[in-house]
Amino acid sequence: MTIAIAALLVFGVLIYTLIVRPGSLPEPEPVSPFRHVDEAKARIYENLRDLQFELRLGKLSDEDYARTKLDLQKELAKVLADADKLKAELGVQTTSKAAKPKAAPEYVCPHCGKKFKEAMKFCGSCGKPMEAEA
Amino acid sequence: MENIGALSILLAFCLTIFAIAASLVGAWKKKPFLIVSAERAVICVWGLVTVASGLLIYALMTGDYRLAYVAAHSNKAMPMIYKFSAWWGGQEGSLLMWNFILATYALVVVLQNRRKHRAIMPYVTTTMMVTQAFFLMLIAFLVPPFQVLSTGGKAIVDVGDGQGLNPLLQYWTMVIHPPTLYLGYVGYIVPFAFALGSLITRQPGDSWIFTTRRWAIVTWLFQSTGILLGAGWAYSVLGWGGYWGWDPVENASFLPWLTSTAFLHSVTMQEKKGMMKVWNLVLVASTFFLCIFGTFLTRSGIVSSVHAFAQSPIGPYFVAFLTVTIAITILLILSRLDYLKSEAPLESVVSRESSFLFNNLILLASCFAILWGTLFPVISEAIAGEKISVDAPWFNRVNVPIGLALLFLTGVGPLLAWRRSTPDNLKRNFLWPTIGMVATIAGLMAFGISHFYALLSLGLCTFVTWTIVSEFWKGTMAIRQKDGLSFVPAVIELTHRNTRRYGGYIVHMGIVMMFIGFSGAAFNQDTTVEVKVGDKFPLGRYEIKVSDIKMGQNENYIWQNAIVEATVDGKPFATLTPERRIYEKSQQPVSMVAIKRQLNEDLYINFAGMGSESQRPTIQAYVFPLVSWIWAGYWVLLFGSLICLVPAKVKMQYARTEVVGVSTKHVPATK
Amino acid sequence: MFRLRNSALALLLAGYCLAQSSSQYVTPEIRRVGSKLACLCGACKNTVATCQMLECHYSLPARQTIAKLQKEGAADDKIIDGFVQREGKKALAEPPNEGFGIMAIAAPVLAVAAGLGLILWFLRRYRQPGVVPAMTDEEVRQYQDQIDKEFSKLD
Repeated sequence: MTIAIAALLVFGVLIYTLIVRPGSLPEPEPVSPFRHVDEAKARIYENLRDLQFELRLGKLSDEDYARTKLDLQKELAKVLADADKLKAELGVQTTSKAAKPKAAPEYVCPHCGKKFKEAMKFCGSCGKPMEAEA
Repeated sequence: MENIGALSILLAFCLTIFAIAASLVGAWKKKPFLIVSAERAVICVWGLVTVASGLLIYALMTGDYRLAYVAAHSNKAMPMIYKFSAWWGGQEGSLLMWNFILATYALVVVLQNRRKHRAIMPYVTTTMMVTQAFFLMLIAFLVPPFQVLSTGGKAIVDVGDGQGLNPLLQYWTMVIHPPTLYLGYVGYIVPFAFALGSLITRQPGDSWIFTTRRWAIVTWLFQSTGILLGAGWAYSVLGWGGYWGWDPVENASFLPWLTSTAFLHSVTMQEKKGMMKVWNLVLVASTFFLCIFGTFLTRSGIVSSVHAFAQSPIGPYFVAFLTVTIAITILLILSRLDYLKSEAPLESVVSRESSFLFNNLILLASCFAILWGTLFPVISEAIAGEKISVDAPWFNRVNVPIGLALLFLTGVGPLLAWRRSTPDNLKRNFLWPTIGMVATIAGLMAFGISHFYALLSLGLCTFVTWTIVSEFWKGTMAIRQKDGLSFVPAVIELTHRNTRRYGGYIVHMGIVMMFIGFSGAAFNQDTTVEVKVGDKFPLGRYEIKVSDIKMGQNENYIWQNAIVEATVDGKPFATLTPERRIYEKSQQPVSMVAIKRQLNEDLYINFAGMGSESQRPTIQAYVFPLVSWIWAGYWVLLFGSLICLVPAKVKMQYARTEVVGVSTKHVPATK
Repeated sequence: MFRLRNSALALLLAGYCLAQSSSQYVTPEIRRVGSKLACLCGACKNTVATCQMLECHYSLPARQTIAKLQKEGAADDKIIDGFVQREGKKALAEPPNEGFGIMAIAAPVLAVAAGLGLILWFLRRYRQPGVVPAMTDEEVRQYQDQIDKEFSKLD
């Protein structure tokens, strides 16, 4: 009994580990060579957004704000230049695709008009079927 | 059954070796199927370690007293929950659990990243599997959990009943303290592995930080929870009323917490400005190594400690493992310094950036001091030839000022703007908190409090609280102005906008509450008396009377307790029943203290014993002011950390640069 | 009376008693001296004064010794010296400020100093403009349009 289980364990492990069919190789997620450029850009926006908020909170003098904003502009210029350089290096053209709007699709109950974030068969508010009947 | 368990461990060990080799060769020769095969090996390792753990737990629960481990750490009379927790009650089992947690983390990482981070995954797998191989090696060859008891010959012996878990560990926090701490200890391997992976492959950008941000926060939370559970256990079980004794093992759990806290702070510098890349790598690596070092300290017996895992032969192996891995890490960092170059200059000395530098300095200073103090007896013996004790008073002397400096920075940091703060700003932001601090100190002095550190600490607590509240207040007001929300939704909106910052403030608030609790220790009172039943004795504002002594037994232990009545100004205040137990199996006596917890102070009674001739009870009574604030602070810290984990509402949404004409898959990757 | 299933254990509980006098050695005078002496029982990091095990196999005799010497009129330092002579320097709760004991406090101080030095170095090094290849104004202007467009997207 013990021997049988042991053998099963060993063979199971060996087969699972060693036999990798080509079909089971994962398809890697596409990675844009510009990803780090985009990330750097995003970082600068984030910093700028923070900066504006801190200005509104009165944690920052106008002078500091102006100077820091100028710095951020320079940094952005640097990132843009890097992107151009990378483009030339790779010999490709690029487009900028706007970030997808995050807003989730809304599902509106045709009977009571309540909005939901998820698709449902029946309205969570009035209980009637969500899909408009034909 | 024990054979299957042992086989699983051995097989898992072989698989880790395979996974390391397959990953490295796969990455080197660019063979994806080898890499996938290695990842499958990781999954199998998890399966096998789970089988081994399951078998051990089964043996503990069903009482298979042929196994040495079961006989030593479980017995028939123990409640089920403690039979389960005996899994980590001893050296062998706890190492098995360590393996199980590590394997689980590795499994999660592999499953999460089947399609992501393909370039660095082989190195992530390697890093985790090297560690796993080491720990599996320990339980496969050095301290096997599935050892059977046998007489001189080959016959297996069934002893029928076991020794039982150490009675001190038969307490609810001890059921969750070790696993929580291990979850925190082991978890730092994930950020470390990703950091190493992107270092080795020279990934552009700082994506490892974004990838492992949650891991870092979650494991930090586990560490904090584990440490505080330990403190809570010491407070309510050990009977001396302390929550922290600077015991080597406590220190060992605290060291990685300090470096990981430093990491969580300084990593923002890299996120925001691309600075301090080397430093962050050093911090994440130190945290990981200190976790391993802590395990080593706990188990090797090189320093004496209450956490008595008996001396075992595994010490030298830890030293070897640490030496080799640290050396490799240092070499890797040094060979890639150019890749780690800072992207931005530092604009001003008075800025958020430099406050992070000082925060790191202080955290690491504390870390170093504690490490030094813990090892000093060993070091002095080795160098000066004479052992020199370093006890609680020394640790307090060194760490109290450090802690207060840190508290101060907690208040200052968030008020400084990124990049630069002009003196005018400073005045505007610091005026009121400072006035609050001075007022608090003056007020407390008027009440006759003269303890310097307590005054300073409570003053700083006001200072920090003020800054945090005003951050929330100002932000909320700004949001209200802009969006016309009412107060509570505006607070939520504000927090949601930047969960990590405002969650962080809440964590700071928790820390402040803990500091209030620590300050209370300056005013502890205690007395030890031998009294006749019915007699009264005073302590602080309490009159305490032992009104009865009772005895009884259950199948696990016999007990004796004292009924203690406390009165304040003649009015009944509380009745407490501290207890003494002697466990049947281990014959070990244990005190169960009784605590009346209040927000302002705890009344803490320990029934120390009966005088041998007088047959009078000896009672140790304590008043611990403000201790409850520490535990309350923990809940605030937990809440804040959870907020940090919520994704911020305004996420980094940015335009994605896409290559025209070709699908991204076929674009030549940058190196 | 109650019945105990295992009377041998009951005896043990009764027998696990405190020596008659262990609680009388917890006085302020004894604590004053005891707070300078380490408890060497091996299980705690407390001092003789703060070790809470009344029957501690190290602290209790130590407290009794202190009490005896105090009755004889010995000064605090004398008593402590006696312990050091018997047990070695490890009898002290804190490392003495002599010989290698100085290193106990010196090393952390040095570490902090070194850390401060490191920060100073860092501040110096990274405050110099030009560490990172900065853009010339010319180049910045080249991207000005794009920057303005990007920045204007923010609210």
